[in-house]
Amino acid sequence: MIFRGLWRRRWLSLIVLVVAILPVVAGSLGPMYTDAARTTLMRETLDHALLDHRGWRVTSVTDSAGRLVEHVKAPFLLPPIEGAELLSPNDRATRTYPLMWVDGQCDHVTLVEGRCPEAADEIMVTGASGFKVGGTVKLALVREPDSDEPRLTPLHVVGVYETDAADPLWYGRSLFPQTAGVTEGNGDPLLTVPDTQLKRATATGGVIGVPGESWVSSAIVYIDPQKITGDDLALLESIQAELRGLGRSGQTTTVFSYMDDMLAAVHRHLDSLSVPTTLVTLQLVALGWLLMFLTVRDLVAARAQEIALARLRGLPTLRIWAFGLSEPAFLLLAALPLGLAASFAVVQRMSETLLSKDLEVTVDGFTVLCGVAAVFGGLLATALAARQTVTQPVVEQWRRTPRSHRRGWVVDGVVLAITAVGLAELVAGGAITDTTGQRASALVAPGLLAVALAMIARRILPLACRALFRLTRTRGNIGAFLAMRQISRGSATASSVVVLAAGLGLAVFAVAAWSVTSRNYQEVARVHNGAETVFVVPRTDTATLGKISAAIPGTAPVIVTPGPPTTLATDPARFASVALWRPSYGNDQPLSRLVAKLTPRVAAPRVMLSGDRIRAHITTSPLPEGWSANLYADFRVAGETRPAAIPLARPDARTTLYEWGLPRGCLTAPCELRGLRLEVMGDTGTNFEDRPSGSALLTKLETRSDGRWTTVDAGLDDPNRWTSTSATSDGGLPLSFDPNFSVSRPDTFPDPMPGLSSGTAAGQRLPGLDDVYFSAYKSVATTRALPGLNAPGVVVDLETADRVAYGYSSRTEFQIWAAPGRGAEVREALRRDGVPVLATRTLDDLVAAYTSQGPGLALLLLIISAGVAALLALGRAVLALHAAARRRTYEMAALEAAGARVRPLRTALLLEQTITLSWGALTGILAGLVAAWAALPRVPEFADIPVTPPLDYSLVPVPVIAVACAVLALSMIAAAVTSELLLRGVRVDQLREAPA
Amino acid sequence: MTPAVRCDGVVQIYKTKEIEVVALRDIDLVIEEGESVAFLGPSGAGKSTLLWLLAGLLRPSAGRLWLGDTEIGKLGPRALDRLRAADIGVVLQNPARNLIPYATAVQNVTFAQRAVRRRGRRPAGDLLDRVGLTAVRDKPAGRLSGGEQQRLAVAIALANRPRLLLADEPTSQLDAVTGQAVIELIRDLGTTSVVVTHDVRVSEATGRTVTIRDGRIGAEGRGGEDFVVVGREGAVQLPPEYHELLPPGSMVRVEPLPDGVVLRRAEP
Repeated sequence: MIFRGLWRRRWLSLIVLVVAILPVVAGSLGPMYTDAARTTLMRETLDHALLDHRGWRVTSVTDSAGRLVEHVKAPFLLPPIEGAELLSPNDRATRTYPLMWVDGQCDHVTLVEGRCPEAADEIMVTGASGFKVGGTVKLALVREPDSDEPRLTPLHVVGVYETDAADPLWYGRSLFPQTAGVTEGNGDPLLTVPDTQLKRATATGGVIGVPGESWVSSAIVYIDPQKITGDDLALLESIQAELRGLGRSGQTTTVFSYMDDMLAAVHRHLDSLSVPTTLVTLQLVALGWLLMFLTVRDLVAARAQEIALARLRGLPTLRIWAFGLSEPAFLLLAALPLGLAASFAVVQRMSETLLSKDLEVTVDGFTVLCGVAAVFGGLLATALAARQTVTQPVVEQWRRTPRSHRRGWVVDGVVLAITAVGLAELVAGGAITDTTGQRASALVAPGLLAVALAMIARRILPLACRALFRLTRTRGNIGAFLAMRQISRGSATASSVVVLAAGLGLAVFAVAAWSVTSRNYQEVARVHNGAETVFVVPRTDTATLGKISAAIPGTAPVIVTPGPPTTLATDPARFASVALWRPSYGNDQPLSRLVAKLTPRVAAPRVMLSGDRIRAHITTSPLPEGWSANLYADFRVAGETRPAAIPLARPDARTTLYEWGLPRGCLTAPCELRGLRLEVMGDTGTNFEDRPSGSALLTKLETRSDGRWTTVDAGLDDPNRWTSTSATSDGGLPLSFDPNFSVSRPDTFPDPMPGLSSGTAAGQRLPGLDDVYFSAYKSVATTRALPGLNAPGVVVDLETADRVAYGYSSRTEFQIWAAPGRGAEVREALRRDGVPVLATRTLDDLVAAYTSQGPGLALLLLIISAGVAALLALGRAVLALHAAARRRTYEMAALEAAGARVRPLRTALLLEQTITLSWGALTGILAGLVAAWAALPRVPEFADIPVTPPLDYSLVPVPVIAVACAVLALSMIAAAVTSELLLRGVRVDQLREAPA
Repeated sequence: MTPAVRCDGVVQIYKTKEIEVVALRDIDLVIEEGESVAFLGPSGAGKSTLLWLLAGLLRPSAGRLWLGDTEIGKLGPRALDRLRAADIGVVLQNPARNLIPYATAVQNVTFAQRAVRRRGRRPAGDLLDRVGLTAVRDKPAGRLSGGEQQRLAVAIALANRPRLLLADEPTSQLDAVTGQAVIELIRDLGTTSVVVTHDVRVSEATGRTVTIRDGRIGAEGRGGEDFVVVGREGAVQLPPEYHELLPPGSMVRVEPLPDGVVLRRAEP
């Protein structure tokens, strides 16, 4: 009988089924999508993590590391990569080499010459090591095992290899200093086979079990990003805890990993996903239930006659409920698998287009439970909808004109109260960072707000129409009169306003959220990336970087040193021409005007010198008894980031010529004399009041190169070339014995240097290019944001920063910025000029990265779901109006029979539908805007909230207006079509039939 | 012997938002077991209201109403449901309103039988056979003709062997032949029946008529003769055909006779 009934009301049943599917989809889509998004976020985080962030390297000097990790098992873990190494100096102790073997090493290297080692004591080496195939290498800790003599074992070079230092086999370690050109006394690995270790395990050179003196066993366990899912987080954390414990358990076992950092990043991403996703899901489910309530009410109303019949026949109450709910319940049950299937299809499609393409979307127990909960909620909504029909007296059911009942304020009051509480918590509580029940009311506040406004609006409309009804009764045509009368008494009007306002409210909120968030993504990306395209190039020096940039039009050289505060050194003029800038960040001033203040006056030339020795000509008066003075010279040496100081002289009246060796680096590259310091010391017991006064006079500096002495152009007698810390004197640079004026430096840069600062960066010292925080700066202007800085920082002149610094820190990043639209050309030019590009960062990539973060992914869910919900809401409203108006076709037929013309009837229908739909739409638009105003600043948009630039939550008018216009236009069209269809259904013959 | 139905000063008042409407006032009525009674009267007189009271769908605002030994006014909703399911069969005015249109004739009968225990039921096939619908037993009720629908409605009403059959305008939308068949069906049942009708054929077919005017029982007809009924307060309603002699509002002189009184128009 259920099927026959469903078929009889097939269209209404179909609508109920579609509407019933909505909460199931809304309820299950969220968890399913969250699962997929969690997996994506996890994989993305792992993909972008450094090697030592996505695995563990366990080492032990006493046990086999492989055995230590063999019980660490999970589906997402790759098999351990075992290995061992012995760190040993060579026989001459000039360099330390790691002698090592790693599982599968031959598959991860490219043989340039020879072969892979196959037997004990065979090794392969890098080309940079300088060893030749056929030669031997002796290490201090590799000795003949059974020999009483401390005889070193020769290791036979059988091959020369090349490898990618970023290969996972090397775990991101700096294992190849020779290949990298860094000569710090460490050599590239000598790769051997496990037999070498077995044979030499009892080598006498080192102490067994002591790190650094014996073989160290290692095992690297990596996570496979393609196999891990969001649900594996707990297991991953337990593995991390176990391995962390292993590392702490004994001094002989060490676990190298930054997994904690990775897990923190994952948690940050996942937390940022869960808040907005929960927000979206809750509201969509609530809207789905509301739609369901209203639509099922129609279905139950259509069965009112049958239900009344059942009561007439004396069926027990339970049976009447069962009979009344049988059809909607069946549809709800049918909606469960259909809704789950629809969710699955939607999430699969979304994951294909928006998430990882190879993601397997799964329907887990929790998702099904959410679907069941949505169905259960739908059943409750159905029961509520059916309550009146099932419980009202049968004779009431048979009345042609049911008694009007007063609309209660209880439900409205509860909704308004909860909305007020939620709104207050939302506005006062700040950003939502968790999804616990405590903040539940705040999370659903936007949706509640839409419903609350809709409830108020549905009461206002009939009141307004009642007032107009009185007016149209005495004047105007019958069309307006009929329309006003119908709206003022129609329950369909109220439900249509509620559902339309709630649905469209959510849609407008979604569009507002999308547009505001997209704008913030764009703005933040503009500031953080700095330029449309940024090329990271190898670290060199400012002059080279400047030349690279100068050779390519539309570029700027930039060196960034992380802070805080971050230092961004650049060529101001070129920077202003390529950087992405908003005048609003700097009091409506163009960037070119702001950065123009960074370039100082023409500075003195640097004091450059090279050679192996330095000689100083100093004259001074005799020093008091027991007192002496030391003159130190500070140099900037190529390849170093700290000043190199030498004790240049001990000024004494007895001699004028002093000589000392220059820092070793000055032999191969020019050094820069950065300062002279005269330190005065007294012997024990000397009287402080007798300390020397006055100054010594430095008259000449000479350097020796290839045995010849050359005078250094230091401008010692030019007061403009040295910072004046003591009285100037003709013929040389006075070096004061007064400790307050004992430092002299070439006046090559302003101190403090001018800087353009953002945020709260003002007032701190800058790390500078050498990252030693020696650089004082003076802010020429403070802006709200600066291109290229994702945290408070300072933009300084590149040349000045270079003069201030003693070198380039390894933390600095050398970049070439490209002007908008010139990215491809610049890339080509860099390639042509032979400049390797280490990384390319584009504005679009950064925006895409933000979009794929948790909040961005949740926003996608909101946009798609809210759009569908809004369309369903509009459809439901139109259907309700259509059904309500169709019931009146009898009345219209009577009017037509009485001589009323068609035109006023058309006007009446059109007016009624238009007013109702427009009112609902306008309420929805208002609700969406208010919800956006209240909620957007509190809902996270980024996984990591950016410090700069300040986020803008003002609404973007164009998309909102476009949606509002589209909604109103759709409403108008729906009203016109519905009216016309209804009007065509009005027939005078109808009067012969009983009214529906 | 206990009568099948007894109304004792039954009053029914409808309350609407603005006013109260007295639909029935001081109804005294006794219907004996096996008796067929037709309720006559103009529209809005209260016939259907009295029928719904007898069906236990309304509770009297005042007065008492018995169905056999059971006083309906004292029953709770569940007991009323049980009473209606087991002891009362109802045929509503529009034949289609008695039926679930998409269910077959048999399903409609069995649907009504769900309310009672299996013992009290009549086999659906027997019932349909009795009303001449065996041939269409598996046809959806909505596709039956008006006469067939009305006969099916009667069959449904009889499904649980009721003690009282209530029918509201059972022939109102039927042609003469079909209407006659329904009348004969109800008459031949032998069950106590109350029929609300405007149809003279129906009233003629029942042994007794009760005419209701303005919420009061104004007259009764038995054996082809109509009687005016004296109300509780001594009021009588003159049949309309005598209004010409004694127009409403005129003054009369009451003259006693050994077996009654005579009313004569008097000029003050």
